[in-house]
Amino acid sequence: MYKETILKKFEPRLDNILYILHELQDNNEQHYVSKEDLKLCADYLSVPYSFVHGVATFYTMFSLTPRGRNIIRLCDSPPCHLMGSGSLLDYLKNKLKIDVGETTKDGVFTLELTSCLGVCGVAPALMMNNATIGKLTPEKVDAILEERRKSL
Amino acid sequence: MTKEKKLSITIDNRTVEVRPHLTILEAARTHNIYIPSLCAMEHLPSYGACRLCVVEVDGLRGFPTSCTTPVEDGMVIRTDTGEIRTLRQEVLKLLLSEHPASCLFCTEQDECKDYQGTIRKAGVITGCRYCPNDTRCELQQVTERIGLTETSYPVYYRNFPVEKNDPFYDRDYNLCILCGRCVRVCNSVRLNGTLSFKQRGKITTVGPAFDRTHLEAGCEFCGACVTVCPTGALSTKTSKWYGKPDKEVATTCVYCPVGCTLKLQVRKSEVLDVLPDYNSALDHGFICVKGRFAVPEYVHSSFRIPVPQRITPLGYNDISWDEAIAEAAERLAGVKPDSFLMMVSPQLTNEDLFVAQQFARQIIGSDQIGSPLLYDLGADTGPFVNLVSQSSAFDVIDDAEAVLAIGFDSTYDYAPIGIGTKKAAQRGAVLVTINSCDTNLDMLSEMAFTCGTEKWSALVGLLTGASAQGAAPLFPTWKKDIAGIQGIFKKSTRKVIIAGPGLLAAPQRTEIIEKLLKVKEKGGWDIIVAHPYSNLKGMLAMGAFHGIKTGAIINENGQAEGVKGDLSKFDLTKGCTVIYAVGVSDLDSLPDCDYLIYQNALPSESQRRPDLLLPAALFTESSGTVINGEGRILPVNKAVEPYRSAKPDWWILNAIGERIKKGVMKYAQVQSVQKEIAKTIKGFPGVKKRLEFSRIDVKMKTPKGAPKMRKQGQFNYRGIPLEAVVKGMKAIEERIELISGSNRGAI
Amino acid sequence: MNMVRNHVLISIDANTIIAGARAVEDALIKEIARQGLSQEIVVLETGSVGIEDQGVVLVVYPEGIYYTNITPAEVPELVEEHLLKGRVVHRLMLKETPKRFVITKEKTGLMKEQPRIVLKNCGFINPESIDEAIAADGYQAAAKALSSMKPDEIIAEVKHAGLTGRGGAAFPTGLKWEFASKVDNPVKYIVCNADEGEPGTFKDRLILEGDPHKLIESMIIGGYATGATKGFVYIRGEYELSIERLEKAIADARSYGLLGTNIFDSGFDFDITVMKGAGAYVCGEETALIESIEGKRGHPRNKPPYPITAGLWGKPTIVNNVETLSNIPEIILKGAENFKKYGTEKCSGTKVYTILGHVATPGLIETEMGTTLRDIIFEYGGGIKDGKRFKCALVGGAAGAFLGPDMLDVKMDFVNLREYAAALGSGAILVMDEDTDIVDMLKSVLHFFKHESCGHCVPCRLGTARLVELIDRIAASKGTSKDVEGLTRISETMKDTSFCPLGQSLILPVSSSLKYFKDEILARVQ
Repeated sequence: MYKETILKKFEPRLDNILYILHELQDNNEQHYVSKEDLKLCADYLSVPYSFVHGVATFYTMFSLTPRGRNIIRLCDSPPCHLMGSGSLLDYLKNKLKIDVGETTKDGVFTLELTSCLGVCGVAPALMMNNATIGKLTPEKVDAILEERRKSL
Repeated sequence: MTKEKKLSITIDNRTVEVRPHLTILEAARTHNIYIPSLCAMEHLPSYGACRLCVVEVDGLRGFPTSCTTPVEDGMVIRTDTGEIRTLRQEVLKLLLSEHPASCLFCTEQDECKDYQGTIRKAGVITGCRYCPNDTRCELQQVTERIGLTETSYPVYYRNFPVEKNDPFYDRDYNLCILCGRCVRVCNSVRLNGTLSFKQRGKITTVGPAFDRTHLEAGCEFCGACVTVCPTGALSTKTSKWYGKPDKEVATTCVYCPVGCTLKLQVRKSEVLDVLPDYNSALDHGFICVKGRFAVPEYVHSSFRIPVPQRITPLGYNDISWDEAIAEAAERLAGVKPDSFLMMVSPQLTNEDLFVAQQFARQIIGSDQIGSPLLYDLGADTGPFVNLVSQSSAFDVIDDAEAVLAIGFDSTYDYAPIGIGTKKAAQRGAVLVTINSCDTNLDMLSEMAFTCGTEKWSALVGLLTGASAQGAAPLFPTWKKDIAGIQGIFKKSTRKVIIAGPGLLAAPQRTEIIEKLLKVKEKGGWDIIVAHPYSNLKGMLAMGAFHGIKTGAIINENGQAEGVKGDLSKFDLTKGCTVIYAVGVSDLDSLPDCDYLIYQNALPSESQRRPDLLLPAALFTESSGTVINGEGRILPVNKAVEPYRSAKPDWWILNAIGERIKKGVMKYAQVQSVQKEIAKTIKGFPGVKKRLEFSRIDVKMKTPKGAPKMRKQGQFNYRGIPLEAVVKGMKAIEERIELISGSNRGAI
Repeated sequence: MNMVRNHVLISIDANTIIAGARAVEDALIKEIARQGLSQEIVVLETGSVGIEDQGVVLVVYPEGIYYTNITPAEVPELVEEHLLKGRVVHRLMLKETPKRFVITKEKTGLMKEQPRIVLKNCGFINPESIDEAIAADGYQAAAKALSSMKPDEIIAEVKHAGLTGRGGAAFPTGLKWEFASKVDNPVKYIVCNADEGEPGTFKDRLILEGDPHKLIESMIIGGYATGATKGFVYIRGEYELSIERLEKAIADARSYGLLGTNIFDSGFDFDITVMKGAGAYVCGEETALIESIEGKRGHPRNKPPYPITAGLWGKPTIVNNVETLSNIPEIILKGAENFKKYGTEKCSGTKVYTILGHVATPGLIETEMGTTLRDIIFEYGGGIKDGKRFKCALVGGAAGAFLGPDMLDVKMDFVNLREYAAALGSGAILVMDEDTDIVDMLKSVLHFFKHESCGHCVPCRLGTARLVELIDRIAASKGTSKDVEGLTRISETMKDTSFCPLGQSLILPVSSSLKYFKDEILARVQ
């Protein structure tokens, strides 16, 4: 099972917890850390389940609920906000008919906000899965969504 | 040790001397200087969350928190300037912006206090009961001290559902101020890890992972979180609405041989709640669910026997003490010594046990003194009591290099031993566990051997080096692990074996005990025995045991050869004329008799109906002493008057004895019993140091009629399962059943 | 030996990858091969060259021509014209090379506009090649330090150079190292804080992506000077490329014997582990970062004890920012006096800024301490976009202050700005034009803080929550003047009582926005 392989990559030391959670999430088809994953991690590291849950919920990069096939993470930090990310957020919400933190009914997109992506030079920006896309406009957003839908 | 130099500091223009390594807050408290604080607490790591304890310190920028800043020599501190007062008020306002605060700021507050408690339909204020902690709330006290009388923010109600699905305590996180005391006490003090912060920022909450109940999350229900909670967020189900107790009585828990200090919270004639004593040198306040939550419901059970009762064909008739004593005396007078049986519980106090054996030996002239041990352990009773007599002080764990825990789990009992073991493991001692199911120590263990009880003897032999005979092939997959542990044990010099109650469920328990005693003799090993017979050492010391005289087992100079007991002729099947059962409730196992006296607080659940019921007082209702598992004499203190007509066991025995044979006992108070005991046990009960017990060699066969392996409830007191009277204990028992399944120990 | 005629540098960083740099690179290599130029033309990957918003950027050396917004379609023409025939393709060329692209004197022979210390190699070397890093003086300072300097000599040099922490607190680095070196403990750690979460800041990312070996080298020197034998670099989880490049660089350094045992035959052992964050701004606070490395929730710790006495796993720990550390090799190699030539009296050296928002050319620059805001915006940033007027700039990230026109000519360094109740912070400069709604910006800042507050202490957890309620009401024109007072009152309480700098610094944006734009804000309330 892939999860065992992931765990075995790391020594059972507490300082590996974020790496383990990252890998478990990255390898999960629904891009989240499941209850089972947290339990595995807790047992592997010999720490309480509640501790691992506490850690996983502290860091925003971990999702504890299943997410869509594509995760849109729009930057909402002040630089992107200044350059119009607020209206883009409304645009995305309307277009996808979901709120932040939700997944479209067809399971294709999950909309999230993220703190600064460090690409403020091309603000406003978003991350589509692992790719960062900047200089966003509604048209560009349309094109990106279309492209992702097509690639299904 | 050299005495540490005191530091001189100035607080609010007062120059005072303080010990080093204190925080400013601690230093101020030792000099009765009030600094408000909600998150700091003695025995908990400092946390700095509530920010109410800000002070000014010359040379330090801004407003450091006194709970996190250590004192330094020459420090000049101001705790109460105008600026500080304003800051505290502002922070408190923010804190109260998400804590329902009408108890603090309601304009009807004063009237409310006057009229609260009256139940009328209209016209008066009866108090808004959203918080169970009114009048006991630290937040209320702090608000008053800070002098906040209004707030500028509307209260934001977080709208969490009140969590009531766990036994013993409820949780209303709408009242939680996230001071982190519960999380710290659960993780840093109890080393349990049920609670954690979840999420972050404004939406932070406290609890186990996801929406698991505390029971599912492995909560020990030690109640430490409830004890430290400064608000009404965590509250004990049975006492949550009761307000302040009138007094506090410190006593010793009689539910197991650890003997933790319990601080009984008493109002009028009722024990409302029980709190731990964090300053107790013996248990450090690490009481378990039984001491924390299973006392009030037991001692105030509505099933208590109210008055003496006599059986009639139509049921039980209430009778007076005089009638009861007269009837008992009449039936007992002239009974032949060998057709009398005195059955005593090892959970009685020393005084009760002493008077019971005196009753049997001097009034009746019989040495027929038995206890439920014989039913539980049969022929293994002898080796077991010997093991108990050889057990060490609990603090040997504190500097142990290696610990081997056999059949031991401290989730719901023996908490101080369990926490000591966990601490040892955390500081690097090698912990090895043997059990038939997962235990709460496994997480910290070097190796957890989980296997059927039938293999334990072989495993113990291998690991300790007591005997390796034919054992190795039993554990093909653990070959390497066993070799590793053997190596570690061989190298370590300070080693401790914890023999848990699970040991008594192993078929070869005698064999295991013998191995343990053998390695102890060889040196390097100490043994701690965790068992359910709370005052077993007291029972042995008092001689409330067939063939053992009072005080005979106390080894004052460590010279004694050991005592010999002989149970080989003890017959548990032979019919008797009279059986006197004190604190023993399994009546169906007792031999036939013409007359059965049942002296206890609650009725027995057995089919068999005793002839005479004598209502006994419980440990909250009478004073005395017990001897704990390490041999310390600990006080049991009366906190409330006995229920209805109930009387202390020694009193009843004394009264009947006096009626039969005047002048033998004549005890008017418990002190006179203690004086009598002191004749054989020097200094009793004032001895501070541990009593040394000598070896005991009990000659015995399986007493006739003793079933070999008797299944019995996990927790009981005076023969009554706690779950029968304490509601929450049922959930605990079910949880144990679920975890251990069929592997559950017999005891 | 082949004669290399041209070097083509292609900027591969987070921004240019977005713009399709990989495809251009492929096309370039193929086209060069097709034209038979593979022996003469070398294509090199490099980090950001400092142009942030112009798509894929190529730089052709030795001419130093910048091509911007390149797509694979333009590649054949570019190869044929410039690389084969030697004719510059003016159509694709960056017309007017702004001042900020003119790098150092030595490289270009031009004026000293951007004294590059930290970013010296960024954009010039292939960050994935240790050989190029070495060719560009990489590890020379480490060699010098380890083989010819004693630890206290290094510390003295750093102290003398007057280097201060570039993460925001501006604590003297030499002093920190000196404290650490004096702590008697066989185990010490040096931690590089690369948890760059301050909105508008991405300098550390560019250093990590553009010149990871400099950081490794700096940590070796720091470890040697302080007695730490183990280093950790804690990088934001979002910085995938940074993590990848640093990990490769560490592996390469190990294989070259630059990390591991007995480095430079000095008897000094040192190694580095990369730790990956997972999205928590508060972990930029050094003690929260330490908690996070240990695998816990990133709550900040009590101070004292300071990390320098009891940090990671209770051991003495030196925490330095990426930019701070990246100054070390230059100081060691060229000496403190040389370093002090740059900057102001109180703050020597350079500072890396990110210029963002309504400027003509947003991007990254390195310039001397003491440069004015005016110079940064109008000289380096090309002025306000679309010819509008300057309104203010949020300097130092979200935890910084809004600076109005009266601050344009103040010399900016850590010490001087403090006198104006402002902070240089991370060096992010978010420029706003006259049309900017200041309430909306403040709202964005406050929401950011509420989201990132860890929840540990009362003032920050509940203060940010209440502030957001107030600003939301004001922004919706439903507030009152009392709400505006509330902003000040809460943020002042937070300044004095919050546990860590996150809550303490929120006063900066609040009080500065009220200082400059009180009327504008009051106009929004009833």
